[in-house]
Amino acid sequence: MRKNTSYIKDSAITVGLLIAAFASSLLFLQFDVEEHITTVFVFAVFLISLFTNGYTYGVLAAVAGTLAVNYAFTFPYFALNFTIPVNLISAIVLIVLSLLTSALTTKLKQHEAMKAESEKESMRANLLRAVSHDLRTPLTTIYGSSTTLLENSRAMTEEQKTKIVNGIKEDAEWLIRMVENLLSVTRLDSGQVKIIKTPTILDELIDSVILKFKKRYPNQKVVLELPDDVVMIPMDAILIEQVIINILENAVQHAIGMTSLTLRVFTRGTSAVFEIADNGYGIDPKRMETLFTGHYASEHEVADSKKKNAGIGLSVCATIIKAHGGSIKAENLNTGGAVFRFALDTEEINDETE
Amino acid sequence: MKQNKYVILLVEDETNIRNLIATMLETAGYQTIVAGSCSEAKTLYASYLPDLIILDLGLPDMDGMNLLNFVRQNSLTPIIVLSARTNEADKILALDSGANDYVTKPFGSGELLARVRAILRNNRFSAEEGRLPGGRFVLKDLCIDYDARQVFVKEEVIKLTQTEYNIVAFLSENCGKMMTYAAIIKAIWGDYVQEGSIKKLQVNMANIRRKIGDKPGEGEQNYITNELGVGYRLNE
Repeated sequence: MRKNTSYIKDSAITVGLLIAAFASSLLFLQFDVEEHITTVFVFAVFLISLFTNGYTYGVLAAVAGTLAVNYAFTFPYFALNFTIPVNLISAIVLIVLSLLTSALTTKLKQHEAMKAESEKESMRANLLRAVSHDLRTPLTTIYGSSTTLLENSRAMTEEQKTKIVNGIKEDAEWLIRMVENLLSVTRLDSGQVKIIKTPTILDELIDSVILKFKKRYPNQKVVLELPDDVVMIPMDAILIEQVIINILENAVQHAIGMTSLTLRVFTRGTSAVFEIADNGYGIDPKRMETLFTGHYASEHEVADSKKKNAGIGLSVCATIIKAHGGSIKAENLNTGGAVFRFALDTEEINDETE
Repeated sequence: MKQNKYVILLVEDETNIRNLIATMLETAGYQTIVAGSCSEAKTLYASYLPDLIILDLGLPDMDGMNLLNFVRQNSLTPIIVLSARTNEADKILALDSGANDYVTKPFGSGELLARVRAILRNNRFSAEEGRLPGGRFVLKDLCIDYDARQVFVKEEVIKLTQTEYNIVAFLSENCGKMMTYAAIIKAIWGDYVQEGSIKKLQVNMANIRRKIGDKPGEGEQNYITNELGVGYRLNE
């Protein structure tokens, strides 16, 4: 599909530029400045090589250009003649130029693709490193607790048992969230960075987010500030839901002293801005830079670091928002606390509700 | 203990999960029969005629969808689908093939039991749930007068367009059941899902929810729940 359209696009560029060159050459002929006609074709071939994929189009354009110049615009007019040295030289110049330009642009494109690939690779490696370390901690609790219960349950008081079972539950819940994050990332990968956006009603998204969040943190109130109008946003709703939940959860776990948590969405022009603000301790300025990269967790890991999935949740957020063509930012508020902000493009609702 | 227990057929191939769910159900007072494969489930279904089937979609011998279609050929026995896949497409396929509800793994015991209770209750009253003589439907403060084609909240009439009324009425006839986009669109516009029709439904739904006073994040307090990418449910 994509290959086909790129063929069509490249052919269109080639033909279009050649026609443009030919037309301007006719004009030049009119004004008696035919010595620059070759230059026009040189320029056209250069542009074609630059904007198309591979060598084919550039070389074809060079050949076509040579023939055109030779046939129509140089002496003898309207006849092919390569025996005149000037014509021969201009033909060679055109072809060599197209080959060199094509080689250069191809190399450049390959380099860019490689850079993007290695960026993705390093992000994945970071994530994997952080995750495999983080997975071990809850598994230790779950495995240890369940064997303890099986082997020593008689010697334990009801209270002790409840405590141990609660530990199992908490760590299992934590594992579930981690796996959800990982699934989000693979969902991104399988879609080859390009995500599938479907129009989503903002209210429905927030409804779903808050329900899931409440299930995990029944005691944490979230203040909602939403636009009065119905807002429709094209997005991968499952992923954006994950982003908002991750940020809310991050606040619950890291915003020390937080008493209020606000989720605010407002429209600005054609985009919807999402803001998640808390009034806690704020973000350590030292961490600001690496907040979304997931580096912090692996580089500064403390032996008994309590599995707070530092960074993983947020780096997943950054990846998801980036895939939606936006960016996510965090800043400390003057009034104390931190705010996370990202924006998505909205879609117009044509009022055909009947 | 009640003499007359509901019989639930549990179809799940993972032994640990099967034991766990069976324990959850039995401690909640249901009689549970278990099957580890599709063919075993078919035999048990035929001999026990259970009140409810809990069905895992990923079975070793056949896809769980196979059993779902088998049961639906000649019976309305309610079916709850268990699915490890978070993929909405699977949920939609199961619902559109006649599953009554689904629970996504992993789930807590409360979540599963709530679904089981809701479905058993719903099934007993069937479509008559909430329907009063004289063609009225009552749910908390919401009242639908089918004859006058009007919807009231707290005795006050809600101004709905024709389409909006049709949607609310359709959901009320399937109260408690998750209705997929495709099912609603088919019922309201007689159409198959096509470009823009889901969007049209979503916008209508957004208006309805505002008019009847549903607020995002209120959960079961709301009349209508949405599942992103799947559909809507009128809560009981």
